[in-house]
Amino acid sequence: MGSSSNSEYSSRVKRMIEQTGSGIDEGSFPLKIFNDQDIYDAELRRIFARSWVYLGHMSEIEQPGDYVRRYIGEDPYILTRDETGQIQAFLDSCMHRGAQFCTADKGNTSHFRCPYHGWTYSNDGTLQGMPKKAEAYQGLDPEDVELESAYLDTFKGLIFGRIVDEGPSLEEYLGDFKWYLELILDPTEKGMTVVTDAHRWQANHNWKTSADNFGGDNYHVFATHQAAEETDDLDRGPWKKLPDNRRGEFNHLACTDNAAVSYQITNDRETYMGYPDDITEHFNSDLSEEQTELFRRSLFYFGTIFPNTTVVHAVQSGGWGGPWAAIRKWQPRGPGEVEVISWWLVPEEYEDNDAFMERSHRGWESLSAGGAFESDDLTIWEGISESTKSMTLDIRESKGNMQQGMDGMSDEVEILEDPMHGPGEVTTNGGFYDERGTRTLLSSWYEQMSREETGANSGEQ
Amino acid sequence: MRESTTPPRSDSVSPDTQHRVEQFLYAEAELLDTFQLKDWLALLTEDIMIKVPIRTYTHPGTEQSEFSENGYYLRDNYDMIRERVGRLKKSYAWSENPRSRIRHVIGNVRITEVTEESYTVTNNQHVYRSYGDTPENDTLSARRDTVLQRGEAGFKIADRTVFFEDSIVSTKNITLPLL
Repeated sequence: MGSSSNSEYSSRVKRMIEQTGSGIDEGSFPLKIFNDQDIYDAELRRIFARSWVYLGHMSEIEQPGDYVRRYIGEDPYILTRDETGQIQAFLDSCMHRGAQFCTADKGNTSHFRCPYHGWTYSNDGTLQGMPKKAEAYQGLDPEDVELESAYLDTFKGLIFGRIVDEGPSLEEYLGDFKWYLELILDPTEKGMTVVTDAHRWQANHNWKTSADNFGGDNYHVFATHQAAEETDDLDRGPWKKLPDNRRGEFNHLACTDNAAVSYQITNDRETYMGYPDDITEHFNSDLSEEQTELFRRSLFYFGTIFPNTTVVHAVQSGGWGGPWAAIRKWQPRGPGEVEVISWWLVPEEYEDNDAFMERSHRGWESLSAGGAFESDDLTIWEGISESTKSMTLDIRESKGNMQQGMDGMSDEVEILEDPMHGPGEVTTNGGFYDERGTRTLLSSWYEQMSREETGANSGEQ
Repeated sequence: MRESTTPPRSDSVSPDTQHRVEQFLYAEAELLDTFQLKDWLALLTEDIMIKVPIRTYTHPGTEQSEFSENGYYLRDNYDMIRERVGRLKKSYAWSENPRSRIRHVIGNVRITEVTEESYTVTNNQHVYRSYGDTPENDTLSARRDTVLQRGEAGFKIADRTVFFEDSIVSTKNITLPLL
């Protein structure tokens, strides 16, 4: 429930949802949705409960008993591999009184014991027992009690979960974006692995602000990152093959139903995103000719899968080194707050290559709360959060702009029909001058926000 | 497991040494607080590494350190630190424009290792950060390990690791003067 009364809440929310839907083809959106309590409450129920939300990577829970704490919306789940090797995700809430039993962020255990009354669950979610069962629960069959679990699905080592089991399967949901994901997060034979603990920081902006930024906004780089752009060439690698303006045939945006990715390529087929020369020996033979061709010329990918998963694979970052890859989650913490979680990944083939790991860490570090590059974004996004909660934008129903790439806006943006660029809707110069990525993500937002609510306590009338 | 604890070694250094080390750290902190970063840079050796490891709250009883040994928010050598200093001077380095008001309070200074070339110093610190025209502020609590190289011209900082209390960084960025 939001801050307003029920009917006011739902008519106000409905109005903003409809304004978003009708604005997409005009290239406008209500600015207010980027910080509004009622919208946020509706997002938790309508988007986060039934979307595929990224929970973790297979390589984080390799052994039986390994677990990590992850969230769907704001709900705390424990993602674990049970004793039979199955992946499970349980709500951290005992079925007796609802107490939480997981205090750590990661660990290994075969059982979870609730601290309140001592109910104990196996890591497959089943109740194993409780103290004084013979005295207190003679007629209760422990097999009737199970922890609430999320519905899980995986793609290329990525584990996603959702609370409500309706809508498309993960593969259907990812759709054409699978083509890009294979290229970005599975380019070598052994696949990618998460290296260490994630960067985590709490920031004062709405989850959509950063999800949108990483879904194809290269346009902000010149203003926001001017200081970092001028960093001396510590380590840019094959980035130097690009002309200074990096535009035209070198920059693209690919949009699919629920995702958008911008990428930068060169004309040099031996670029391989700056990987060591032996990358050719490790290249994943499952990739198609077109995927291989694109990877050979690739410099970076920055993309967002709606709602809050971002994938990055890049030659360098801000002159700080690379190549590096990351999965990011924009973990909602309120209408104007987000926890950013950034996991560093490398192809398993390079995990023991110290020189590679050093450079890759630098790229990943550059885009973090400690990073020379990202810190400028964070300050600016904080300001968006501050302004978009304003009463002025609310009362006037003020609109933001996302018209780039629409008719009459740019001679520089062209739709590309070329199998090398995959099955998405691809535009040349799209990262810089096409806001199709924002429109794509807000279309997904509209679609999910306008769908009837699910569950017994839905706010829909 | 927390960061490794070190036995008290107050008997191993003279009050004069303790005093000189503390005074150095206080003076250095003032350079950071006042963004006199060029002068601060001159206090570093050219083979310095500054590190801020990731902290994760692990399963109770586990032997594994809370601090990552291969994941850092910041793990920078001299060249990278120099670049950071250079960019902070630019008006469009938005992360510090407007500039944070920063104040170090340093305490519990202990010299834990003495060699002919260096002192290893551990201190606790609260670093306060106020920002912009708002009542918002952050306090970053940390333990800091520093290796001070001994030379005729005084001390130089040869290595530094900052162990934050927070497992989720709760300030908008980790800018150099906060370390």
